[in-house]
Amino acid sequence: MRTVRLTGTDVLIKTGSPHLEVPLNQRRSTVIAISALLAATFAPVVTSTSAFAAPLPAFAAAEPNQVTGLSVTQADGFATVAWTPVEGATDYQIERTAVDASNAPTGTPMVVGVWRPNRQINNEEPTFADAGFNPGSRFQWRVRARIGTAEQPYSAPIFDTTKAPWGDPAVAGQNLRTQWETTQAAQYTSDANEYAYTAEVDRLSERVRVVEIGRTVQNRPINMFVIGYPTPPATPAAVAATSPLAVNCNVHGNEPGDREACLIMARQLAFSDDARTLGLLKNTTVLIVPTINGDGRAANTRGNVTGQDLNRDYSLIRQPETAAYVRMLRDYRPVAGYDGHEYGNSQAGDLPMLPPRHQNVAQQIFDESLDMIENHMYVEGAKDGWWACPYGCANGSGVGLSEETILRNTLGLKNTVNSLLELRSSGGATRPDEGNTANNRRRKTFSALWTFNQFMDYHHNQLTDIRKARGEAIEFQAGNNGRIVFRGSRVIPLHPAPHPGEAGPREDLPTPDMILDDAPCAYKLTEAQYNGARTDGPNDIGATVAERIAAHGWKVVKVADGYVVPLAQPERGLIPLLLDEQGEEEWVSGERVYPTLTGRHNGPLTISGFACLEGATVNGPVNLRPGATLVATNTTISGPVNAFNAAGVFFGDSTVRGPLQVANTNGPVTVIGTSVSGPVNLVNNTNGAAPYFAGNSVSGPLNCSGNSVAPTNLEVRNVVNGPRAGQCSTL
Amino acid sequence: MRTRLLATVVVAALALTGCTADSSTTAVSGPLCDELPKGDEPGNPTALASEPVDEALRWITVLTTFEGAMRASELVPELEGKKAITVLAPSDDAFAAKFSQDNLDELMIKDKDTLRTLLRAHIVDRALSLADLRDTDSITTLDGTKVKVGEADKMARIGDEATTVCADYRIANGRVHVINHVLGNLPTTAGQGDSGH
Repeated sequence: MRTVRLTGTDVLIKTGSPHLEVPLNQRRSTVIAISALLAATFAPVVTSTSAFAAPLPAFAAAEPNQVTGLSVTQADGFATVAWTPVEGATDYQIERTAVDASNAPTGTPMVVGVWRPNRQINNEEPTFADAGFNPGSRFQWRVRARIGTAEQPYSAPIFDTTKAPWGDPAVAGQNLRTQWETTQAAQYTSDANEYAYTAEVDRLSERVRVVEIGRTVQNRPINMFVIGYPTPPATPAAVAATSPLAVNCNVHGNEPGDREACLIMARQLAFSDDARTLGLLKNTTVLIVPTINGDGRAANTRGNVTGQDLNRDYSLIRQPETAAYVRMLRDYRPVAGYDGHEYGNSQAGDLPMLPPRHQNVAQQIFDESLDMIENHMYVEGAKDGWWACPYGCANGSGVGLSEETILRNTLGLKNTVNSLLELRSSGGATRPDEGNTANNRRRKTFSALWTFNQFMDYHHNQLTDIRKARGEAIEFQAGNNGRIVFRGSRVIPLHPAPHPGEAGPREDLPTPDMILDDAPCAYKLTEAQYNGARTDGPNDIGATVAERIAAHGWKVVKVADGYVVPLAQPERGLIPLLLDEQGEEEWVSGERVYPTLTGRHNGPLTISGFACLEGATVNGPVNLRPGATLVATNTTISGPVNAFNAAGVFFGDSTVRGPLQVANTNGPVTVIGTSVSGPVNLVNNTNGAAPYFAGNSVSGPLNCSGNSVAPTNLEVRNVVNGPRAGQCSTL
Repeated sequence: MRTRLLATVVVAALALTGCTADSSTTAVSGPLCDELPKGDEPGNPTALASEPVDEALRWITVLTTFEGAMRASELVPELEGKKAITVLAPSDDAFAAKFSQDNLDELMIKDKDTLRTLLRAHIVDRALSLADLRDTDSITTLDGTKVKVGEADKMARIGDEATTVCADYRIANGRVHVINHVLGNLPTTAGQGDSGH
């Protein structure tokens, strides 16, 4: 069979059945509207609903302004209703009626949605995602246009059975169900039920490994599904090498809709054998954290048990929940993310989304995140009928600003393409105002399930672009000498016509006091600042700055009188926000360390102590004495660089015309976005963390050996003209 | 076909109002009832009729804020020890219209004395049906406040602003009525200070 989209007078090509079921792929089936004639012929019960219907002309063309071309496509938890637009229509009403197997109504017809032109970017092919029903139920759908407020005739009806909850009840694993599913959305999945379900998914699927990434204040486990095919890679570093994607499902305890979607999606990924799922999982690893805020979820509070809003803590990581997530980001290095929320705004769309906007986020990450939202989510939303607010969300401009404490921005500052997701929790003019009912819960959860699946598809299709953006962002950050913005957002222009933009994210430019034009090269912390006890965590006990810096994964150099955090590293956009006194929410007021050489230096340069070369030119060899630290950004060195027994070596966006030898460093080594004309040797460096060697070009061999931890390229490939040897053989 | 269809419609109409004649089921009434678990769905009114208050509240989907607040307040043991109670339970929408999220977290996490007083303003020390509430002039809630009640169309008015929206849930020791406004005398903070996601 093939799909026939009916237009005009609904002349049906295929006959003999009151409806056509056309499988589009393994997930979906489409039912196309039957003509008025066939409706009368094959579905006599339709006439019985005439109390609610416009008269159906037996042999005539469609009535003036009657909606035609209706089709309904079933997906997981929702049905996409589509139709041919009516000239001059102001909006459309989508009506749904529960029916039995013989299509006799068993419930009252209800307008379940109003389609408005601001719903989608393609007004020529209107679609509406109808959720808010018990999956597996059977319904009749009709659509009518309104011109002004004048209601036009309803379309011919379509009858169809919605998809049952995913998974064959007779197949182990597939037959698992959450508490939310078994109670028909009357109850959310409890903590105990989540753990049991999670353990069963883990036990029954080779593709799944559940790891505990931390514990909440009240000692609840924070679990993460690690899902790959045929099995997930064995270690976090091996997972990182697959450029994984991460979904954070439940940061606000009283916003549980995304979490239920995550639990269902984990089951689908674990047990589905369709080509799409296997294709996704063969190429990457999916990371799902269902409940980072287990205490808040159990208590139904927004914050954790201390009352802290965790989505104002991802940079500060005062709380164990956010610290666990940030350590996970450090170890698993997802290249893309989504962060799930709910939104109590009755005038917003179904699915407001927003990219990381903080101005310190690399342009490439901002652009790629916006591309994901505008060129994937808005496009697919228009096909499937979800309203992601392409022209802005009315009354939504007050949210979505530049706090780096928000995961969306924290992720962006960690060079991760990502978006916020809000699930609309309120009714309003475009859908029934039912409050916190089972049907509204389903609207939220199944819209989240759609979004997360689209997110995986985007990642799958655009991984080359995502990795390119991330690589360029890491190189940009490690070599950036530009201004620092403490708070302030990039502008997000309104999406262009056909519909006029209405309420984009609020302009949130940095105020002058939030800008530092003369950026330092590093921050120096005292012993007390670095290792001193803190009181900003639960029960007035906080992790030390040293521990938090380690959780973020920043490189620190121990010097005689303190600790130096150079900015020439991938999270250059985030570090000053926590270590500079000008920051809006900083940990400590670190001492700004400014460059020691910015101009030209002719002849050999011997470094003892701390040197920061920024935009410098050195015509001669550079030698680091034991215990010395070199930070070089935007710098050209014509001569070999030799560092033996140094305390730290940092290169960002620089050029070395000669060999680069870094050996026996007892502190951090990071070489990013740098061009070396000559051999590179990284040997016997003994810092506890992996040296970074990422995004460089080397004219000569690259040799790494004896380093206490093998160097990593952060999934940003190096171009090496010579052989790669030892620990760097795959970089 | 026509006859069967009519029968279906009649049954549907009865189910809608909750005025079923079957004495083995519990009838609830109000405009919101049709959106809450009904028939043989998990959490339907009949299934809750012999449940203690805390368990019953877990099934009435629009009461998640009230249910969480009841647990936070640790009032449940006191209520379960009472011979009969009436719970006037504001819906989640009512709480959202009354308190900012920050204020609500403050009450539930840090200011439990105030929370207990607030919740006591929603509980009466005897079992009152919808009909009782419509027939009575005033009730006294556990916080000692006298609240005017009366008829409001087919529902009951509670105080100046609230009405029942799904009334007459039976529980083991009384009744639960879902209402559409928060009672008590705390200031309204909704819309203040919340910064969204």
